Amino acid sequence: MSVASPIAAPSPAPLLELRGISKEFPGVKALDDVSFAIHPGEVHMLLGENGAGKSSLMKILCGAYCADTGEFYYKGAKVAITSIADAQKLGIAVIFQEFSLVPFLDIAQNIFLGREPKGRLPGTIDRRKILADARRVLDTIGFDIDPSVIVDTLGVAQQQMVEIAKAISQNARILVMDEPTAALSDREAELLFALIARLKADGVAIVYISHRIAEVFALGDRITVLRDGRRIDNLRPADVTPDQLVRMMVGRNVDMTYPRHFAERPGELLLEVKGLSSTTGISDINIEVRRGEIVGLCGLVGSGRTEVARAIFGADSILEGEIIFDGQPVSGEPDIAARRGIALIPESRKSEGLALMRSVGDNLVVSALKKLFPSGLYDPRAAQRTADGLIRQLRIATPNARQTVGLLSGGNQQKVVIGKWLAAGAKLFIFDEPTRGIDIGAKAEIFALIDRLVAEGAAALMISSEQIEICHVCDRAYVMREGRVAGHLTRSELTEENIVRLGMHDA
Amino acid sequence: MPDAAVISQIRLFQRTPGVAIVLVLLIGLFGAIAPGFLSAANLANVLVQSTILTMLALPMTLIIMTEGLDLSMGAVLTLTSLCVAIVSLATKSALLGLGAAVLVGAAFGTVNGWLVAIVGIPPFVATLATLGIAQGLSLIMSDGQSVVGIPHSVRDIYSAAVLSVPVPIIIGLASYGVFHGLLYHTRFGTYVFALGGNREALRYAGLSPTRLLIAVYAIGGTMVGVAGLLMTARMNSGHPTAGLGLEFDAIAAVAVGGTSFERGNGWLLGTVLGVIAVGVLRNGLNLVSLPSSIQVASVGALVIVALFLDGFRSRS
Repeated sequence: MSVASPIAAPSPAPLLELRGISKEFPGVKALDDVSFAIHPGEVHMLLGENGAGKSSLMKILCGAYCADTGEFYYKGAKVAITSIADAQKLGIAVIFQEFSLVPFLDIAQNIFLGREPKGRLPGTIDRRKILADARRVLDTIGFDIDPSVIVDTLGVAQQQMVEIAKAISQNARILVMDEPTAALSDREAELLFALIARLKADGVAIVYISHRIAEVFALGDRITVLRDGRRIDNLRPADVTPDQLVRMMVGRNVDMTYPRHFAERPGELLLEVKGLSSTTGISDINIEVRRGEIVGLCGLVGSGRTEVARAIFGADSILEGEIIFDGQPVSGEPDIAARRGIALIPESRKSEGLALMRSVGDNLVVSALKKLFPSGLYDPRAAQRTADGLIRQLRIATPNARQTVGLLSGGNQQKVVIGKWLAAGAKLFIFDEPTRGIDIGAKAEIFALIDRLVAEGAAALMISSEQIEICHVCDRAYVMREGRVAGHLTRSELTEENIVRLGMHDA
Repeated sequence: MPDAAVISQIRLFQRTPGVAIVLVLLIGLFGAIAPGFLSAANLANVLVQSTILTMLALPMTLIIMTEGLDLSMGAVLTLTSLCVAIVSLATKSALLGLGAAVLVGAAFGTVNGWLVAIVGIPPFVATLATLGIAQGLSLIMSDGQSVVGIPHSVRDIYSAAVLSVPVPIIIGLASYGVFHGLLYHTRFGTYVFALGGNREALRYAGLSPTRLLIAVYAIGGTMVGVAGLLMTARMNSGHPTAGLGLEFDAIAAVAVGGTSFERGNGWLLGTVLGVIAVGVLRNGLNLVSLPSSIQVASVGALVIVALFLDGFRSRS
């Protein structure tokens, strides 16, 4: 990751300048007197925790929201941005985290949605031209793919490239990217960074929202830090250290090295995976997890990490090998694994882990209903007691157990998922990307929580693309490559370099 | 020559052509057990009788692609058919009858769209309400009696043939052609995919999902108006229960044809195959003298079998 060019002399008139932007929603001041300037050929990093106002600022920038107060200046002249069309006219394009793609249209149709070249008959589309135009746009970003491929068949990274192509095709002079690498593997991220470097060279201004400190220093020419809707600082990467940045974001000191009480000697064997192969393409997996341990499972996206987790949990069928949990073999179905005490906490907790419209309390007890109410009769007071106990134990920030889960922050939702399994008596927690989309302060709390869980005799298997987190938190780690365990790293061997080396195809 | 967009659409569905399997199985089954099923006259009859359903199922495909539904189609068909009967009886003009039916159908479609897109009522409830209204209006207009004595110019539309191809089949093919062009070759069609697939994308492209959605329902109503003419011609009368339950067959045909109720994933040709499968099933059961109550149950079973085949194949 090194595409940051030497900083150009600051051009006198910024391409776009926002002055004194405020935006209030009922009960929340989302943005409070925020000013910031974007220069051509610069990558402007926008940093802040969830809820700091990044998304609101971005939506105001692209015209989706209208600012309550504040002014916009384009090349020094005052302009108004009150609609998406206004923003597009100024050459502002946004790449959202939730893609704005239509799944069952092809790439070309998606790139030119709403701007289709007219065919001979009224209302029709010039198919040849739309494909040729799409081809040209895809070429400029170096994405070699047939533009008539249906978007639904693409992977996340490829869809991201289509999003970028769509933005470029609008002759975007200001490109806003919202955590573009969140869904990408390291290799895919490298391609994105190369593209960003090319766009910069063309004089495109990029507003880049990120949670990853490393990216800020690798890519950024300028940094704006937001907190609680206010602009905390505007500075250059050279003038700041990662620790200082984190402090600005959270407004308190957060130790980047997460607290971890490493056990003197590991506990008894809890999970033993021997020669496991499954229908999803993993083969000959050998893994051990002991009580009191946090074991990392790393490797590139697509190397089979999630598949290993799913096989252990019984979600995918096993072709060969065996899984021994707590001294006895487990096999087959997720509900058997869950009853034995294996918890799988998936990456997409919104779709797989939580009933978002239900209350915190309901979500906490839902996996433990059989255990709590063996008679089959629901006792609301007993459920309430269990829920309240977990809310205290896990320090879930919620007004009460009746709060709707969907309204909690990402970190607290993650805690509810953990609490749900805890109530059901889980002994082994398998985390798939536990910190994705969670801000730094909440990350530390999640890790502290996992640390407490294992200190009390549980064990954790943690899949993460954030190598730095694996290094800080795990007792040891397995590195996956192409469906196999490529290597094992002990505590002393656990470094980012070693993980990358083992995980790369050509190592 | 279908272009690349269509080809890739087809390719996408080639992996799961449950409807093709169902159709082949049904034809094989009735060819074996139903006397006269495979005769040219009977097969032509199946196609002719499928026309009205095709005209409902094509726009129903678009509506379902927007994650919507139109339960009022059968009742509105009854109403437009009565309009054709009454107006043509009074004016002796098939064209005026058609005009009245199209106006009434389009009005109902627009109201459906308005209720769904602007008022924000779930399609199931909104179109259930207009179903009731259309049914009530039909009973009032007809006084519960058949409207008979309609002019020959109306009746002949159903029995006429051009170059010995029955006119209903021509109308069915033309309808498919129009909808195929509309969905796969126009900007509007592109936006129909987006209405179900990602409405936000339309908004960011500066388009109004609301207006597009109303248009989709209005097109459905308009088609029901045109189908009203065929219905009256077919029955040689206006009947207050003419279209009863046809929305069920239309939705079944769309589902059998492999259109998904989520994410804007639709397939027009599949819908036509689904219509034919429903037609074959009903015709075959008729030939082996099973009562119509069994037919309704069978169409329901057909939906399950086709969706099972689709799901089973896409999983394996």
